[in-house]
Amino acid sequence: MTTTSHAVAGSPPFRALVEGEVVQAEHLTKRFGDLVAVDDLGFALGRGTVTGFLGPNGAGKTTTLRMLLHLVEPTAGSALVFGRHYQELERPADRVGAVLEAADFHPGRSGRDHLFSLALALGQTTAGDRSFAGRERAARTRVDAVLELVELSGAARRRVGSYSLGMRQRLGLAGALLGDPELLILDEPANGLDPEGVRWLRDFLRRFAAEGKTVLVSSHVLAEVAQTVDQVVIINKGRLVTFAPLAELTARLSGGVRVRAPGVVRLQSALEGQGIRSTLLDGNELLVEGTPSARVGEIAFHAGVLLHELVPESSTLEDVFLELTAEVPS
Amino acid sequence: MIDQLLSELRKMRSTRTNFGLLAGMIGLTLLSVLVNGLVLSVADLRGHDNQHTLLSAGTSGALFAALIGVMAITSEFRHGTIRSTFVVTPDRSRVIAAKVIASLLMGVAFGLVAIGLSFGVGYAILAGRGIDFALDTNHVLLLVFGTLLMTALWAALGVGLGAVVKNQVFAVIGLILWAFAIDNLLRELVPDVGRFTPVGVSDSLTAGFADYLVAPVAGGLLLIAYTVAFVAAGAFVVARRDVT
Repeated sequence: MTTTSHAVAGSPPFRALVEGEVVQAEHLTKRFGDLVAVDDLGFALGRGTVTGFLGPNGAGKTTTLRMLLHLVEPTAGSALVFGRHYQELERPADRVGAVLEAADFHPGRSGRDHLFSLALALGQTTAGDRSFAGRERAARTRVDAVLELVELSGAARRRVGSYSLGMRQRLGLAGALLGDPELLILDEPANGLDPEGVRWLRDFLRRFAAEGKTVLVSSHVLAEVAQTVDQVVIINKGRLVTFAPLAELTARLSGGVRVRAPGVVRLQSALEGQGIRSTLLDGNELLVEGTPSARVGEIAFHAGVLLHELVPESSTLEDVFLELTAEVPS
Repeated sequence: MIDQLLSELRKMRSTRTNFGLLAGMIGLTLLSVLVNGLVLSVADLRGHDNQHTLLSAGTSGALFAALIGVMAITSEFRHGTIRSTFVVTPDRSRVIAAKVIASLLMGVAFGLVAIGLSFGVGYAILAGRGIDFALDTNHVLLLVFGTLLMTALWAALGVGLGAVVKNQVFAVIGLILWAFAIDNLLRELVPDVGRFTPVGVSDSLTAGFADYLVAPVAGGLLLIAYTVAFVAAGAFVVARRDVT
């Protein structure tokens, strides 16, 4: 899979529109009164990429996605899909599909009728038959196809009120797929799904991406999307933190060693003498980076430092993510 | 535009909301025509004005028609379906226009049912009690077309009202409070203002004999003006408001 990514730290420089970029945010800003929800955000996603849009709750992910879809008007900057504002696209829902909330259904309407009303608004026809009956027939064909695709045909005639959360997520996905889009935008699709549902979604997104289509999927838990995405946009408090291939994030995984010793300061200078960096955690604890525990023990032995604990610690992707989005005291 | 209209019509018949409203309207119209037709004495029912009241039971359809429009937009906000609606059709004024037309059509359908009931049952009662029909053809035509215009326009006005208010509960309570309390008070206390209110001009469409009301044609034009104003305000607000 080709990955177009542009590692940007802090506020990105202005980038001219590049042909083939499917999603592009430039100096994107949204204020709600005094609250700055999205703050000078910039990133660009190439065709065929699967991007995780990550950040803690309240980071501005949802607002950003809604600005891409012309549901929320930016205060400044621009949010473009296929190089245009969403509302300026010809038949936008044929190019972009979106699942924004798991609960966006009328509980008294059947899943099928929900899709039917959306499909009719899409205005698809078969063989150019623009009669009322022709439009109804085209909509019905498409609705049956997407119901099949998300494995919901059996429950289609039931009221959505009786659906499980997983079924609602799949119904939302079915709605997004009605126009056979090239870009899928999903806002926290794994929220509230059981492990089986998460796996189903992951497999689905992989199949979708394998056809060369583009996915932008948000989550506040990196692990949910880590196996699906090939790059990540991480934001916090509305600002870009990291825009990088997943591999770059993986490279930051470090195996540290935590040492507890009475003479911890002496150990630290001994390590420094060997060119090994370490961080003092408290009075008698030290975190040593990038060094095997045997080597740390050896240095301690030669420095005559008594060790109480020597614990190898490996960080996870989640640690890296949490570290990146940690509160920065201002 | 046809696509959006077909979509809106499908939405309207795929929940119980409008069937509930229809049932409510049938119930209220029947109650009104039965009470007027069976409680009044034969002598009273020979009177022109009482026969008018009996046969205009269908005008209660206007309130239910307004609720069709209010629900068509506010239920989308309430259940969040407005998001997928606007993602499929980002041109929001087109969505509002489709809702207005679909509501107009539903309003006409409600009006036809209301007229059928009030005239059908009203005539049957008059005939059954051996009472001669006192209304002339013009008056009957005024009642029929006045009621139809009322239900159609109030349904469209409801879309505008719902779009402005957005909150379903507030919109429904506001509408009922206005129609049953504030508007009545205005007409009682300040008739010079009351005859120009939305309900006041609606009454003039069918009432004809209440002397404080404007003429039916003026009433019709004023109700159209109100409808256009509410719909325009609704479209304006919806186009500018973020969908969060």
